[in-house]
Amino acid sequence: MLSESQKLIEKKRIKSLPELERPRTVRLKFIKVGSLQYISHLDLQRTFNRVIVRACLPIWYTKGFNPHAKLVFSTPLSIGAQSTCEFLDIRIDREMSCETIMERLNAELTEELKIVDAYIPERDFADIKWASYDISITSGGISENTPEQIMQRIKEPIFMLKKTKAGEKEIDITGLIHSFSCKLVEGDIKISCTLSASSTEYLNPELLISGLARECDLLCGSPLEEHYDIIRTSLYDAEFNLFK
Amino acid sequence: MNKNNTNISSILKSVSKPGRYSGGEYGQIIKDKSKVAARFAFCFPDTYEIGMSNLGVRILYGVLNKEDDVWCERVYNPWIDMQEKMKEHGLPLRACESGDPLTEFDMIGFTLQYEMSYTNVLNMLDLAGIPLRSADRDDSMPIIIGGGPCAYNAEPVADFFDLFNIGEGEEMLPELCRLYIKMKKEGRYTKREYLHEAARSIEGIYVPSLYEVTYNEDGTVKAYTPIYDDIPRQVKKRIMKDMDESYFPEDAVMPYIETVHDRIMLEVYRGCIRGCRFCQAGMIYRPVREKTPEVLNRQAKCLYESTGYDEISLTSLSISDYTELERLTDLLLEWTNENMINLSLPSLRVDSFTKELMDKIATVRSSSLTFAPEAGTQRLRDVINKNVREDDLMRAVGVAFAAGKNTVKLYFMSGLPTERYEDLKGIADLASMVIDKYYDTPERNRSKKPQVTISVSCFIPKPFTPFQWEAQDTMEMLADKQEYLGSCITDKKIRYTHHDARVSRIEAVLARGDRRLAPALELACKEGFKFDAWDECFDYDKWISVFERCGIDPAFYANRAFGLDEVLPWDIIDCGVTKEFLLRERNKAYEGNTTPNCREKCSGCGANKLGGERTCCPKARS
Ligand code: SF4
Repeated sequence: MLSESQKLIEKKRIKSLPELERPRTVRLKFIKVGSLQYISHLDLQRTFNRVIVRACLPIWYTKGFNPHAKLVFSTPLSIGAQSTCEFLDIRIDREMSCETIMERLNAELTEELKIVDAYIPERDFADIKWASYDISITSGGISENTPEQIMQRIKEPIFMLKKTKAGEKEIDITGLIHSFSCKLVEGDIKISCTLSASSTEYLNPELLISGLARECDLLCGSPLEEHYDIIRTSLYDAEFNLFK
Repeated sequence: MNKNNTNISSILKSVSKPGRYSGGEYGQIIKDKSKVAARFAFCFPDTYEIGMSNLGVRILYGVLNKEDDVWCERVYNPWIDMQEKMKEHGLPLRACESGDPLTEFDMIGFTLQYEMSYTNVLNMLDLAGIPLRSADRDDSMPIIIGGGPCAYNAEPVADFFDLFNIGEGEEMLPELCRLYIKMKKEGRYTKREYLHEAARSIEGIYVPSLYEVTYNEDGTVKAYTPIYDDIPRQVKKRIMKDMDESYFPEDAVMPYIETVHDRIMLEVYRGCIRGCRFCQAGMIYRPVREKTPEVLNRQAKCLYESTGYDEISLTSLSISDYTELERLTDLLLEWTNENMINLSLPSLRVDSFTKELMDKIATVRSSSLTFAPEAGTQRLRDVINKNVREDDLMRAVGVAFAAGKNTVKLYFMSGLPTERYEDLKGIADLASMVIDKYYDTPERNRSKKPQVTISVSCFIPKPFTPFQWEAQDTMEMLADKQEYLGSCITDKKIRYTHHDARVSRIEAVLARGDRRLAPALELACKEGFKFDAWDECFDYDKWISVFERCGIDPAFYANRAFGLDEVLPWDIIDCGVTKEFLLRERNKAYEGNTTPNCREKCSGCGANKLGGERTCCPKARS
């Protein structure tokens, strides 16, 4: 971490870095795990706004009455889910290498919210169509037969209320699942699945497991929220190429 | 997240605002607990969002952690849903950083910012599994410390604390830790010995159990008698004499979730030159001690670099009274504008609200304006020594209206000593005049209608004010006055809100209470009282029932005029300002005479004996 006085010098130095002709977009891949799963998307945005100031980056600011940094995030994650594959695009207006950017940001972040890659992007966030998740469910209602039971149940339609722009709607969520597997590990249910993640047909993994919990009676009545863990592990485009 | 939180983690998904409890903030201080000699849990008896916003906590967290062998952590009171979940899963209250239960700490400090948080203090001790009463805690239990403005009369909670810090804690808290560590190392630590030695050797430490209280037949206090002759008969407040030299945290724990004051808070000076007669803060923080603009500018820059906040708030009791405000804002604006940082100036006085200031400070321009005339007529404003004149207010709102604003908020107090119904009518009249002023301002925004909000609180007699002896109006009187004022307001452009008189009454009881209130607070805790500063949790009838069952008459504390020669429960504390001065001020109030502010003329309040650099006190001795 730079000391405060080093930062002041650094701020001045940034002004002498060569200016870019046009603002350049740099994509940051980051993880959001542990405590950070409880931080909402809005709070995350506010946090990054402060982090980029602390990190002394040559950030490009919008012109006009209320100048601000342009931060564009990929598919938001809901509270209670962790991720090892979040993306954020920032824009800079002076020359600085992606490695330096990453290094500086990480000096202002923690182990639970950390940049793991920084590069010039080739793809649009709009290309994201699928997301993979690892889910585990811990509950007294689980037996050896449970994985089999879940695998059977998932073949039939599961209707759930889903919030859409037009309001709440009953839909068959199995139509939004690309792949699904499930096994028992040390008494817990472990699910690996790939779900629709496009902006129009986003399937929240929590909705899927609450559907399964209801259909297969996994919880014996205790609240679902206290029994699951979700980690988003990767994003894909329509052809199942890993999104970068 | 550390492993102690594994259980916490499983319940976090089922509570509201889990970000309050998840921790892991950037800037939190983590030490190796096996390598520190004293562990300190700094408790804020309210929610995370409120506690994280407190500047005092930020300072003391830094001060304590500066000591290599001390580890200070933060603790907030979990909201009700979280408390229920913790109970259900058998989880005790834990500190944010380590996730360790409070019983593992050496010292636990509570900051007492408002009386209505007392029930939260007990609630937190209870959640931690720590016996409430000091007398029931043995040597293996943490030392429980209280501080903050309510410590000036913490008698109602005195039985629950081991000691109080009277005054500013920057030096006192580390000294308390040093003494603790020393006695532990020398193998001579017992709680009893420790408390005695702290009271004897550290200035500003009040150990309630070392003073015996006797009462007169009429229920008033007879005497406070120290049980040792080597401890002070009266505990003198500690202050930081030189604010420029005083410890200042150059970084901050950065909350992920939004807090109440999510910005840089720059403390410009301590104390207040004004001397409003109802105001406790104006008396207990005397004498005024300013920081120099250069020091403030450097500290602000430092904090900006370490936090990345985009707003700096200049805090103090009345920012326009800072002698170098011009120079300070000029220094700050040199770099804040280009970095897109807003400057905000809360606590502006009407007589200092000018067009120049408005042009200079963006947030003054953009936010809604708030002024505090406190009383509706000049007569009553003279009584309370609020030296604000009607024409000052009219001029100030005129400037605001000319700049395009159309809303103003005005703060008042009802139930003030000598108040008559015409004073209440005066509040309504003042609001109407502000509306008229809008239409008289040619440059006003003609597409908008004016809107004046008047917010009226209830007068609460507070210790160490010239009004400390006054009786609070009964609830019936307060309700009647609130209704009358409402009937005086007919204009739809005036919005009228008032505080709940029932809360103010309980606050008055706790503010002027003595040690005999302890059983009531204990019972309140047993019955699950918590978050009484929150409307949704406060239940007046339950409070009255608790008092009744403990044989306490709330009117004795709230609605009784205390005798001028009576021994007051807080006489055990010397806050610098003398009783003679308070009495003089009280008499002047009844004569309707004002007192000049400290900068115009010293009125000999006594606070200069505490010393202080860059103060206007004559002969401030250190
Ligand atoms: S000693 Fe005089 S100048 Fe100082 S605070 Fe008291 S009244 Fe004000």
